[in-house]
Amino acid sequence: MNRLHPLSAVSYAVRYGFLWLSLSLFLVGALASISELLSGRWVPVAAVGGLAFGIGYGIAYYYRFGYRITDDTFDVASGVVARRSREIPYGRIQNVDIRQGVFQRLVGLAVVSIETAGGQSTEAALNFVSEAEATRLQNEIRRRTADGKRKAHSDDERDDSSVTDQEFIGPLPASEFDSDTPSSEHAGIGPGPGAGDRIHDRSPTEFEEPERKRLFDLEARELLLYSFTSFRPAAVAAVLFIFFFMTDTIIEYLLAIAQPLGGPADIETGTAGSYGILTIVSLVNGIIVTYLLSVAYAFGTYYGFQLGRIDDDFVYERGLLQRYSGSIPTGKVQSVTVTANPAQRLIGYAGLWVETAGYGPSSDSGSQSAVPLAERGRVYGFTERLTGVETPRFERPPPVARRRYLVRYSLVAAGLVAVAVGVTTVTILERWYLAGVVFAAVPVAAHLRYVNLGHYVGEEHLVVRRGFWKRRTTIIPYYRLQTANTRRSIFQRRLGIASVVVDTASSQSFSDAAPTIYDIELETAREVHATSRRRLQSALSERSQDDDLSLDVDFTDPDSSGP
Amino acid sequence: MESLHPRIRLLWIVQGVIYAVILGLVLLAVDRWALNVPTVALAGVVFGVFVLGGLYAVRLYQVWKFELQSDALYLERGVITFVETAVPFVRVQHVDTQFGPVERLLGLSSVVVYTAGSRNADVRIPGLPPERARDLQDTLRELAVESEADDAV
Repeated sequence: MNRLHPLSAVSYAVRYGFLWLSLSLFLVGALASISELLSGRWVPVAAVGGLAFGIGYGIAYYYRFGYRITDDTFDVASGVVARRSREIPYGRIQNVDIRQGVFQRLVGLAVVSIETAGGQSTEAALNFVSEAEATRLQNEIRRRTADGKRKAHSDDERDDSSVTDQEFIGPLPASEFDSDTPSSEHAGIGPGPGAGDRIHDRSPTEFEEPERKRLFDLEARELLLYSFTSFRPAAVAAVLFIFFFMTDTIIEYLLAIAQPLGGPADIETGTAGSYGILTIVSLVNGIIVTYLLSVAYAFGTYYGFQLGRIDDDFVYERGLLQRYSGSIPTGKVQSVTVTANPAQRLIGYAGLWVETAGYGPSSDSGSQSAVPLAERGRVYGFTERLTGVETPRFERPPPVARRRYLVRYSLVAAGLVAVAVGVTTVTILERWYLAGVVFAAVPVAAHLRYVNLGHYVGEEHLVVRRGFWKRRTTIIPYYRLQTANTRRSIFQRRLGIASVVVDTASSQSFSDAAPTIYDIELETAREVHATSRRRLQSALSERSQDDDLSLDVDFTDPDSSGP
Repeated sequence: MESLHPRIRLLWIVQGVIYAVILGLVLLAVDRWALNVPTVALAGVVFGVFVLGGLYAVRLYQVWKFELQSDALYLERGVITFVETAVPFVRVQHVDTQFGPVERLLGLSSVVVYTAGSRNADVRIPGLPPERARDLQDTLRELAVESEADDAV
């Protein structure tokens, strides 16, 4: 069994020391307040005792934690008193992520997380190992996973030369493919530091260094565009959080800003007009700060983004302060999604996301960015080469769907007007009918929702497009289908339309529901439903008959990329 | 297409009664501590929910159908939103039979089929006689094993 890095002992000791310190203080305090048995005199004793126990526990935890790479499984044994030993078969590993915070980067440590499809959390987290060990683990696990796969169909198989002269994303200049970047750039974490042509300089290691291919590097321009065109709802929460803790300072600041524009001198004295100005100024301020925070966050998260490929795995690296590095086996990819918000569509850019059944390091969903943002044409081309999907010819829902949205949004608008009426009855505001202006947005909203809907039934893939604010085009291979559902509400039944929900094993967050084809004619819906089922069966039988066909998604075959 | 056991209607009616009682209690609490709710309105609402629950139960029984097709378990159900679901046998992870206290009282069982999907990951067929439920569980298990796919997640 291997131990973690010795510094982890310090980290665990500090962590558990603080935990037990506060726990014992809390307990003594609580007991002293409800009974006479304990008095305040015991507090120092409890503090010292709790701290000592916590530190001891943390150190014991370090010594009782072990991990091991075996031929078939990755083993983790942990627990001071109650022991748990866990064996994770390589074939079940979804992705291996390496994470480094600012402090960890300074001292050269990293957190390795291993994800499988089961369970609600990370299956194995190693806090902390050294950077070199992290990289070694990632490579070892990947190599053994690949070995296991090769063993599975030993009468191998395709000429792998097709992989070497594979086409990469878009018309990148040749220099981008040569790994002539100084290795210091890779000195941190991440797979295959000695990738590409540097391989020859390296001393022979215990196994052949994997060859890393660059698929995509996020350029400075694209990073900036991405930061400025994307918005993270988390920024709103952050601003509210800051406001909650520094309410007084912030209110003073807002007053100072609004005063020259006609705001009130202080929060108690002011006229309706000056309060109005204060509100508007504060709102504008809040929006700007939230937006800037979001920009900074996106910039920090995707700084230095690189996507590469080693054998059958995608590998990526990103992050300014906190570095992430992960690998995704191509065979574990459930679906891919092209996203673009209105601003990105306007400048002709889009992003590409890859969904697996595991859980990502930064979000709760298994969605990983493959290309945060690039020109639309490049992203489309890359996606088509990646999945082998033909260029989709989208079909729209029947026009009756648009009428449905018109009715739906009218109801929403009516609700808003009703709220406005309610507000006028309890406040000094009077002209509730001004709220009627929202009705002007109804036809626009209905139309925008309608034109962004589309689906395409391909030879091997189903393509579903939906959403205006965040338009997502999801490409689902039929053989990833878990269940197919045709849904019809009472309103849809009246109009003779239906929605088809295509469920895959990708773990999505609640906000991104399973890919749904909304409001198509019932006949079409039934057809899509039946086709998906049929093509799942034919894909499965093809796979079992044809041993030459890899069981995994072939993301690289340049022949299927078309013109 | 196979229907559920007719006794399932009783179960759903009991559920409707429970909802009506809960609603009645909430209204009583409102009446006691907040607004004054006329007794007639209270009784009317509770009775209305009770009747609706009964109608819902009857209608749900009418539309609930399932079938073992060549490649998948196929289900149809839903009063407000009518849903047709196909669960390919190859995607079945495991199959349970379950019964709750009321189901046990009525002598009924449910079969729950689990997939690796993210939504509708468990599909429940309620209201089966216990022997039919076990039978269905065995059949589904055999079909799932037969069509075992290599590309499990």
